[in-house]
Amino acid sequence: MELPDTYYSKDEYVETASGNKVSRHTVLCGSQNIVLNGKVIVQSGAIIRGDLANVRAGRYCVISKDSVIRPPYKQFSKGIAFFPMHIGDHVFIGEGAVVSAATIGSCVYIGKNAIIGRRCTLKDCCVIEDGAVLPPETTVSSYMRYTKKGTIEGGQGNPYFVPAAMQEEMINYTKSFYEHFVRTPAPAS
Amino acid sequence: MPQDNSKVKVMPKAVVCEESKLRGDITFSSGCVVHPSATVIAEAGPIIIGENCIVEEYATIAHRLAPGEEYDDNNILSIGTQNVFEVGCNVEAARIGDKNVFESKCFVGKGVSVSNGCVVGAGIKMIARQHLPENTVVYGEQALQREAIDKQGSQTLQIDFLRKVLPNYHHLRKPNYDPKKARSVV
Amino acid sequence: MSFMQPSPVKYACSCGVLNPINKLFFCRHCPKLRCGLCVCHEIESHFCSNCLENIPSTEARHRKNCCANCFECPCCQHTLSARATTVPVVRKTEEPKDTKEGESVGGAAAAPAAPASSKPSAVPTTKKMYYLSCLSCRWTTRDVGIPDQGVATGTWPDNECLYQARFNTLVEYFQAVVLQDKQEKMDFLRRKAPKQPKFPSLTDRTGLTVSMIRRQIGWTEKTLPKPRPVITPAEATSEVEELPAEIFTEPLNLRNVTTIAQRHSQPAEQPTSVSKLYPQRRSLWIKRSLRCRQCEHNLIKPEYHPTSIKYRIQLFASCHVPEVVMVRCEQPLVAGKSNAILLKFTNPTMYDMTISLLTDAPSEEGEFNAENQGPKEEQDTATPVIKGVNLARQNSTREVTREVKDISNAPIVPLESEFVLSQRDDSKEFDEYVQLPTEEPKFIVWRKGNKVLIRLQFTPSEELSPNTDVVLGFFMQYTYVNTVTNASEKKEPTTHALHSRVFITAGTTEQKAN
Repeated sequence: MELPDTYYSKDEYVETASGNKVSRHTVLCGSQNIVLNGKVIVQSGAIIRGDLANVRAGRYCVISKDSVIRPPYKQFSKGIAFFPMHIGDHVFIGEGAVVSAATIGSCVYIGKNAIIGRRCTLKDCCVIEDGAVLPPETTVSSYMRYTKKGTIEGGQGNPYFVPAAMQEEMINYTKSFYEHFVRTPAPAS
Repeated sequence: MPQDNSKVKVMPKAVVCEESKLRGDITFSSGCVVHPSATVIAEAGPIIIGENCIVEEYATIAHRLAPGEEYDDNNILSIGTQNVFEVGCNVEAARIGDKNVFESKCFVGKGVSVSNGCVVGAGIKMIARQHLPENTVVYGEQALQREAIDKQGSQTLQIDFLRKVLPNYHHLRKPNYDPKKARSVV
Repeated sequence: MSFMQPSPVKYACSCGVLNPINKLFFCRHCPKLRCGLCVCHEIESHFCSNCLENIPSTEARHRKNCCANCFECPCCQHTLSARATTVPVVRKTEEPKDTKEGESVGGAAAAPAAPASSKPSAVPTTKKMYYLSCLSCRWTTRDVGIPDQGVATGTWPDNECLYQARFNTLVEYFQAVVLQDKQEKMDFLRRKAPKQPKFPSLTDRTGLTVSMIRRQIGWTEKTLPKPRPVITPAEATSEVEELPAEIFTEPLNLRNVTTIAQRHSQPAEQPTSVSKLYPQRRSLWIKRSLRCRQCEHNLIKPEYHPTSIKYRIQLFASCHVPEVVMVRCEQPLVAGKSNAILLKFTNPTMYDMTISLLTDAPSEEGEFNAENQGPKEEQDTATPVIKGVNLARQNSTREVTREVKDISNAPIVPLESEFVLSQRDDSKEFDEYVQLPTEEPKFIVWRKGNKVLIRLQFTPSEELSPNTDVVLGFFMQYTYVNTVTNASEKKEPTTHALHSRVFITAGTTEQKAN
């Protein structure tokens, strides 16, 4: 199915020179520590906690409504530290997702209301189902699908859980999401 | 959201971000950390949050009105010390003890009474009237319960860190209530 | 949402099953569509999905397909993580702190109590000890009294089950039985058909590949028939232990009783009490390669390394077959009322394609009509089929071609002419697009690079009741330029006219307008 156009109002979104489209109704804490590498969409209600540690998102990422990107912390004997968080290219983060991963590879799909616990590692080309809960320090390797039930399924070459051409699928998907995320046309006067 | 600032009491050494939504008579004891976009609603009566609690983003703590009930100053929801309310949790529990962890996006309904050292796992909805005994862990997709061998580790290190970092990036509510002074008045 | 949602556009695989294009593969040698059901799945490599370590297949077998380092929580089946505690080695008190990888805090008086400590006993010692902890349900190895270890990985004890010795003799015995069985069969077949299977098996029951290879080289056999180990048959007794008296008197604490899932994760023991739960080794995962059953060429062959996402061979249908994407219907779907649908065609190949949409199967290439003639078995070109030879091969050499069930219920109006999809050119994405004033057939709405949007008229059939799915079906015929050829003498690419059957679920019918 072709993605329908998503319209945004000119007043709500800020478009940067590198093509990032960021809603004004977001909470970007410590914005000097947040790097969006271009053509990233951050929708309204999203929270990115750059004040805790650096957050870096690759190209063509989609950070949907009401999601929370929160660098993970780790407790040591003498204190805690928040770790920087890296998000690869072509990553889709669904609505209401809570992401505390350490690293997210490229071409990753995170479903709606998924919860990614602290210091999880999401490798390239993996899928997190809607509403899935990843306990802290989970590793989801490439071409794996983390289900809502809490199981890991798939594997490279298994066509039933993650498309074999996940990389191309995600590139197409995030690119077309960006292309279909357009400003509301000015009312014809 | 219109805020009823006059009734929010922040004790010294508590870190309460201004971007949080606070409604009603709420007391934050010293050492509390309230992240931006957290919500605390004291609808049915005052809420007193004990020392060293952490309330993260999109977390909601609510003291809701039961049908037919009216606001009652004596109907106090007292939350114990060292509780953690993680991102997006929604806690309306009738009683909350000490050292509990409410993980991301969990829902704890009004009929639940939480003792000490409990963990409500991420995404779990608890609605039925029940009492969680000490050190209960509610986990997994089916919300199974087990008893942990030990209480959860304390959050003081995290609170220390947040108390250092958050003031650099956020506008905080000024402490406006000093228990020592209040005591001297009484 | 494009690929996480069920796609409205389905292609009929050559085995007759309908699939969205992202689950299909394209065998260039046949050349036909293949799906997960009609290919041969083979293990490419074993790896642990948690520590991402590649494990050679012999080692994987040796370790019973389990990772040596990673454990699963016996309580919730999530992966356990190692936690470090600094333990001051003091004479009396042992106070573990829930810390990890911290600098050791100075302990009090030293005591040589710890066996693993190599430090001289005069220095105040703290030691790092590890325990395993589940971050989902907070289970720890301390819950069941497993002592903390000095090293994070490798030293965790395996719980030997009660019947291990018995089990081992049984395994040994039946391996010998199967081996002998196979030996006899092979000897028998060698006399009849000398041909050896090309590929080692996946379904080999006992994992005797080494001996298979020996046999293939031509060593051995005669040395093998060694005496079978003796086993004593199990005996049933009618005497069963009495239930303990407490079971009737003590109140049951459900938290101490294991769940079915917990028992099944520990099949050897099947403990009934949570105090008997032990960490289980995580099972390994595989990367698969897929092989066409007819021509035995690989369709998918992943890179060996667990973290690599690349393929050495990738014949996705979406890279070879024109992709049809449903854009929208022009009007609400009403039974019996003519409508039009907008479809986007994309050419993924480096050659121009000529596409026509037909209502009947094109007949120029006879073999393709197979799918309309009902179930038919196609003989493979490869080995002759002898029952039993294929012990070592999972793939059947026959292909059952199911009839594609015509589920369409909305006849289409065929396009008046065929149209050309230009080749894919990734550099065009960055060019200024200039609309060339070309003569286009009427049904083409727009054209950009390798994409064409067409308008296809159809009429949902009269009988459709409201709220039923409207399904369009057509044959898409397209020219495909094949750069590989089976015949070695022909080097230049050959052009095929292929077709695939496409079904589009356009939506549900609405209430008929009065």
